[in-house]
Amino acid sequence: MFDKLNYSIVKNSFRALSLVIGLFFLCLEHAAAQREKEDGEVVTEVVAHDANAIFSGSADFTFSVKNSLNTDQEGTVGYLVTTEKGDKVLDKTIKVKIDRNSNESYDFHLPELRSGFYKINFMINTSDYDDTTRKAFGIKPQEIRSQYTRPADFNQFWDNAKAELAKVKPDFKVTALPKQNTDNREVFLIEMKSLDNYTIRGYLTVPKTRNKSRKFAVLLGLPGYQVSLDPMLGLDNDLAIITLNVRGQGNSRDEIDTRRDEYITYRIEDKNKYVMRGVIMDCVRCIDFIYSQKNLEHDNILVSGGSMGGYLALAVAGVDKRVNLCSAQNPILCDIRRLVGEVDWPVSSFRKYVATQPGLSLDKVLGNMDYYDAKNFAQNITCPTLMGIGLLDPFAPPNNEYSAFNVLQGKRRIMVFKNLAHEINEKYKELEGRWMRDTFALF
Amino acid sequence: MTYIKTHIKHLLAAMVLLSAVQYTCFADGFPVRPKRLLLSPSVSYFIATKGWDSLRVKRPFPDNGKFTSLTYSLYAEYGISRRWSVVATLPYVTNTYTQTKYSNTSRGLTDLETGIRYYLANINYIYYFMLQGTVITPLYKNPGLGYGLTGAELKLSFAGSGHLFGNSYYFTIEDGVRQYFGSQGPIQNRYSATFGLTLDKKFENQISVALGGFYSVSDLKNFNVNPALDKNFAFNQVTLSYGHSFSHEFSIFVSGGTFINGRNTGAGSSASIALILKPFR
Repeated sequence: MFDKLNYSIVKNSFRALSLVIGLFFLCLEHAAAQREKEDGEVVTEVVAHDANAIFSGSADFTFSVKNSLNTDQEGTVGYLVTTEKGDKVLDKTIKVKIDRNSNESYDFHLPELRSGFYKINFMINTSDYDDTTRKAFGIKPQEIRSQYTRPADFNQFWDNAKAELAKVKPDFKVTALPKQNTDNREVFLIEMKSLDNYTIRGYLTVPKTRNKSRKFAVLLGLPGYQVSLDPMLGLDNDLAIITLNVRGQGNSRDEIDTRRDEYITYRIEDKNKYVMRGVIMDCVRCIDFIYSQKNLEHDNILVSGGSMGGYLALAVAGVDKRVNLCSAQNPILCDIRRLVGEVDWPVSSFRKYVATQPGLSLDKVLGNMDYYDAKNFAQNITCPTLMGIGLLDPFAPPNNEYSAFNVLQGKRRIMVFKNLAHEINEKYKELEGRWMRDTFALF
Repeated sequence: MTYIKTHIKHLLAAMVLLSAVQYTCFADGFPVRPKRLLLSPSVSYFIATKGWDSLRVKRPFPDNGKFTSLTYSLYAEYGISRRWSVVATLPYVTNTYTQTKYSNTSRGLTDLETGIRYYLANINYIYYFMLQGTVITPLYKNPGLGYGLTGAELKLSFAGSGHLFGNSYYFTIEDGVRQYFGSQGPIQNRYSATFGLTLDKKFENQISVALGGFYSVSDLKNFNVNPALDKNFAFNQVTLSYGHSFSHEFSIFVSGGTFINGRNTGAGSSASIALILKPFR
């Protein structure tokens, strides 16, 4: 009892102290902001002379500086162009003098560069202000191709996996979850057996309808890395939506339940046992599930996902021709060998795992990952495919994304977000929706 | 993982009536969903007591003349596939012309229109191009109901939709060239532009404004107070509509329009009510 009381007093005192400290810092911040307002500031802006920062030969940028300070600013502005790996390609610096309370703009015309994406930093170093703005741009990205070839037995490898999956009795189960129903949708838990006889779960939501014979086009939503997907609802009355939690994620952790950073390397030493083999087969099994349901259209299936979900969308569309549309946002694991030196994750996880496994090398891991490279799946994709990428993406760099995009066999379209990293914005989702409705004739 | 509900066609969007006497055009430039039947019974009333002569001078009809037309029409449209759909319009018309001590009424089925529509292309899945071929078959012998001539029309539509002031809008621009065959059969250019705006997020209420008209050329240049019988004439009319959707299957449109200028035709106003039914959703 006393312990509880003392604990309560201490807790309340701590809260009061936190409040006082918080208020103190708030006042300091306010005072600083006020001072800055009185004294003015320097604001910079970089504008690429192409809406997507993609150029056909040489790139052009305008670097604008607004000096609201009461002092003239003397110093330099310039740029540094590097490869995705950080190797210096170009740089330029010019001396500038920006009068007090004035604006200046500097146009930079870069020399011709080889096809590919580059990082560019714009720097300003003046009397009272130093800053760096990081951007990226592309030159003739349609010419980007991977330097690394696909294993000769790539298709055989995945045919074997599918043959193995076919031997597993699916035992599809659909359980109504009426408490989660909304005004316009019914929610179901779905369960199925997949490769290795693992149990995989997900959710199906279906628009309510009086027409019992009505069939719905299907959006199959695939999960990001270690993301647990919930039922997807919304107002769309024309679409059934499945969210699938692949093995080791969400409510499908019966057999695999790794720590977050260990999932990507789970059994990576053996290409026949690597976690992604089962994960991709889980997605194929979910297409089997769609085909088993009478109220779902079997020829109107869109697979969509972001990050690992984008990767899985490409992978499943690459191994299963029953997919009719594919939408991949910031797909990871594209042109994996090229990621080495370019990005931290997932290569850092590969290295970390290799260090714990005697006899295993990074080369061996990369050799196994050739069978899991998104650009190798992309070569098999014949359905229309939409991709979205961010030029500042630290996990899925644009060169790698284009290595996959450029080898897609069907109709393809890419949306480039020059100022985004590992994300896309609402414009992509709107286009995806309109594209899906048009293709599935949901006018 | 997100999904945004998108609309290619905003519910009632395309079903705006453009009424020119008994001519009821359905301004619909969007593709039609396969296996979807849409029915639209409508009734419209047209009245004219004045007319424009061949010099575009507006005068009252002689001897207190008044022309009225009451049209019952059934429009149907059915999606065959993603790109193809069929359309048909069947009107029943009562035309009455009265003067002091004179009255004449003609009534009956008039020109059956059957057509096939092809979804040509889109821009960014927002703007749509459609091409429609229509055959006009007269179902009457009474010369008071129309030309009594078979005709054919080729129509190009451009339509799109988007967001405006937090609501959704759509537009349709159509132009059709129609040729009536036979002696002095006119060739006509029929055009319309419609802009509609939804008034709520659920697309339950909407308003629209349409500007449309005919430009008809024929060797027969006589003026007739019944616009359905004129062959060499032109007019423009503006139509305002309000639409309300009771459900996905049932909507109603109320429209009012008036001729704003013309040549060799009556100067009248119209009002109409149209139901939109989607029985097999």
